[in-house]
Amino acid sequence: MEAMSVRKVAFPRYAEYNCAFRYIFEEAMDVRCIQPPAITRRTMELGAKHSPEFVCTPFKITLGSMIEALEAGADTLLMVHGLCRLGYYGELQEQILHDLGYRFDFINLSEYDMGKKKEYIKIVKRINPKVHLAKFAAKFMEGIRMVEYLDEVTAEYYRSCGFDATGGQYKAAYRRFLTALYTARTRADIEDAYRAVRQSFQTIPINKPLRPLRVGIVGEFYTVMDAFSNLELEDKLSGMGVELYRWMNVTHQFFQYSAQKNMGVKIRDLCTYEMGPTATANIWYAKECAERGFDGLIHVKSAGCTPEIDVMPALQTISGTYKVPVLYLTYDSQTSDVGLMTRLEAFYDMIEMRKKVL
Amino acid sequence: MEAKKKPVIGLPRAMLYYRCRTLWHAFFDELGVQTVVSGPTDRVVLERGSSRAIDEACLSLKIFLGHVEALCGKCDYIFIPRVSSFGRHRNMCTRFEALPDLAMNVFRDSGQRFLTCDLDVLHKKDEAAAFLDLGQKLGFPPRVVRKAYKTAKKAEQTQYKRLVRAQEQLYKADGLKILIAAHSYVVEDPYIGKTVTAYLKKAGAIPIRADLVDREEAIKRSGELSYTCKWEMSREIVGSIVMHYDKVDGIILLSAFPCGPDSMVNELIARRVKRVPMLNLVLDSQSGTAGIETRLESFIDIIRFKGGQL
Amino acid sequence: MEHAYLGIDVGSISTKGAIIDENNQLLASQYIWTQGDPIGAVKELTGLLEKQFDKEHYKIVATGATGSARKLVGAIIGATMVKNEITAHAVGTTTFYPDVRTILEIGGQDSKIILVENGVAVDYAMNTLCAAGTGAFLSSQAKRLGIEVEDIGEYALRSTHPTQIAARCTVFAESDLVHKIQMGHPREDIIAGVCNAVVANYLNNVGKGKKIISPVVFQGGVSKNKGVVAAFEDTLGCQVIVDPNGHLMGALGVAILAKKGSVRRDFDFSVENMEFHTREAGCGGCSNNCEIICVYRGDELIDSWGNRCERGARVH
Repeated sequence: MEAMSVRKVAFPRYAEYNCAFRYIFEEAMDVRCIQPPAITRRTMELGAKHSPEFVCTPFKITLGSMIEALEAGADTLLMVHGLCRLGYYGELQEQILHDLGYRFDFINLSEYDMGKKKEYIKIVKRINPKVHLAKFAAKFMEGIRMVEYLDEVTAEYYRSCGFDATGGQYKAAYRRFLTALYTARTRADIEDAYRAVRQSFQTIPINKPLRPLRVGIVGEFYTVMDAFSNLELEDKLSGMGVELYRWMNVTHQFFQYSAQKNMGVKIRDLCTYEMGPTATANIWYAKECAERGFDGLIHVKSAGCTPEIDVMPALQTISGTYKVPVLYLTYDSQTSDVGLMTRLEAFYDMIEMRKKVL
Repeated sequence: MEAKKKPVIGLPRAMLYYRCRTLWHAFFDELGVQTVVSGPTDRVVLERGSSRAIDEACLSLKIFLGHVEALCGKCDYIFIPRVSSFGRHRNMCTRFEALPDLAMNVFRDSGQRFLTCDLDVLHKKDEAAAFLDLGQKLGFPPRVVRKAYKTAKKAEQTQYKRLVRAQEQLYKADGLKILIAAHSYVVEDPYIGKTVTAYLKKAGAIPIRADLVDREEAIKRSGELSYTCKWEMSREIVGSIVMHYDKVDGIILLSAFPCGPDSMVNELIARRVKRVPMLNLVLDSQSGTAGIETRLESFIDIIRFKGGQL
Repeated sequence: MEHAYLGIDVGSISTKGAIIDENNQLLASQYIWTQGDPIGAVKELTGLLEKQFDKEHYKIVATGATGSARKLVGAIIGATMVKNEITAHAVGTTTFYPDVRTILEIGGQDSKIILVENGVAVDYAMNTLCAAGTGAFLSSQAKRLGIEVEDIGEYALRSTHPTQIAARCTVFAESDLVHKIQMGHPREDIIAGVCNAVVANYLNNVGKGKKIISPVVFQGGVSKNKGVVAAFEDTLGCQVIVDPNGHLMGALGVAILAKKGSVRRDFDFSVENMEFHTREAGCGGCSNNCEIICVYRGDELIDSWGNRCERGARVH
């Protein structure tokens, strides 16, 4: 890139993590971040129209989001690496976008050997050759901190928001927190946002029964976290008055994976090997929830997600052993809100009646 | 394991069996272990497999589970290796990582026992190590196992070279040459892929298999077409297309619905290889032969028409 | 005056209504086609129920709505209980069959399985996308073969060598069916094949991984089809109970739920003479462009839904 213009970098929408991407691009790398608009049906339709038919849904959504980012003026797109089909998203998306006539610079992390530190520096230098590495490292860590706060607060939010006694203050506090993260410029901004939301969560009156319904959510990395993709599953379910538990998030999977000791050993009876990128964690967490006496489990995935299809027989084993019902949700671009609501209402009724009897 | 009676090992005739059968048979033979292979795929195998598999799973997995069921109770162990990687950017589809555990959970109630080993070069478990582990699980001393593996590997290489040479001859033959880009367990399966090659032969064309290729060279050259393709078997096919596309009259991208890697790699091939006529054929458990024959027939007609032979 | 409870189940194909007394005894029931007009169907239904209903001795103190049009119908009849059809079916069936362990249900456009333990639903599954193996599929195939849906069962039972039909997807099944007809398979064998295919598809798709334990109750529109019942008994190797009132189970269930609920509101049969209409409004607040459904009684807006966010609340 020429020195005269600053790069306008975009990463497709992914749950609420774009706040951290923006922070890292703008504060750590000194480039401009083009935030793609929130995902809507148009994003999905755009993506699906230009994608191969049988590819998994996150490919289609992220492709749609990239198109919207280019429309918004981005000149550089970033795509991450992954252990399943995700690892090949970048090259095919780049080709499709080129064939559509877009001109842009594409930074595909699959081209780099992500096991090596040197490669990371190469990527940073490519995005902005004039970047100050020490400052980058410090600001990058603040971006990571942002993700950790976001995941921690989100987890707490969905455990309690269904029992808000004030009719909306809990949600408002969470929304304020998100807005603060999206506009944060400094470390102090991040810390302030975190402190404020913690304080709100502690003071807003909660009306939770002694033994609330508890549901554990496991599933595929993108769809289980992205509210648009899963049709606001967590909002719908917590709105019925359910305590939700979801281990799977960026913090746990990437920064604290080893904190859960001996995950593989704990599920030796269910699987011997790593069956896929998130299989071990999902099977372990499902078993953990079952052992803790949860009222139900929900497995979320996009249509055709190979690793998560292969996890399902193990979940069926858990369901049978611990007598815990599992709701399997598969999302594609046609999945309707109404159909999902019927399933969730029935699931809620079922676990509620079960709890009364058992 | 009992020392006296050697166990009988069941080999499902599906998935990696088509790629590895020489190696597997030679290895077990060398150790003096008896093997039993499930019969060729037919409608019953597919139906049984479909009733066991998650509905969304790929056709190849359904066929595989049908073969596993056919072996249940007919052997002491069913052999299902976990195959994950052969090096950096040389992975397998995650389904091959999941296969042994998947089968164990699906057939948990049957009482059938399974035998498995782990091939994952990225985690320092190469093929020799995997087979050493396998042989030791069967109660053989390391020295014996290593020798058996060495002999089996040699047999595999000799056999494979012969297969590749035979394919290379076909590229030089006269006639309408159609390159079939498909995984071995698709193109060789008698119930699905074989019907395609059989039809092509009947129609007077010469089907050539892209997957039977000098693997080392194909892996190297796959980068010319796709620089981040990371699936070992897809890279062999992509590399083979790079090596051969100017020697054939048409290419058929043949895949089993809904194959994960193929869903993306075939799209990329179609977008980047422009000069050769190409047919994208997706086989489903429901696709009747009539529909496929129509598509093959018109594909061949179009190529012939372009060459002025019709 | 004794208390009575009304339940209405409006599905895509048929509309069912049932009135019960305090002891769950059936006082009146009706089954009509929805014909793409749920409002019209409900008005007609209430008219027909009114004729059977003994207004001298009973009054309806609570009403329930279920089925895919439950929201719309709930708004119109002023229901005290609006419940999804899965729960309604489970409650209805377990009330009349306390020992039931498995409920199979195949309706017009969807199918489900409910597993029951000690009278409580403990697990369930629903078909995902494809309509193959549902009532819609059966009736379209009957039409293709030129016979009435009602006669499918009789034909199927006459077959000795059912034809193999691929039924996973409607499109494939139809082409396969045409192929089999052209090959000269007898009609009854093809029909028996279609029935077997419906069962195979159901067990592969909806029943996957679920342990089917007897007693098994089979309901939904397709349960009226003897061919499918026989195919189920054959495949499962156990007796399959079909209740003569099986088609009413959803309506009965939601009537029972309305009875158990705490809200009481007398039902007014005059809805059959009121004017209702719905209006669809595009929100336009963002590019989701949610379709918001507004329900009016005369000129008065009585309910609306369909917006994904708060923005749509303004559009009326």
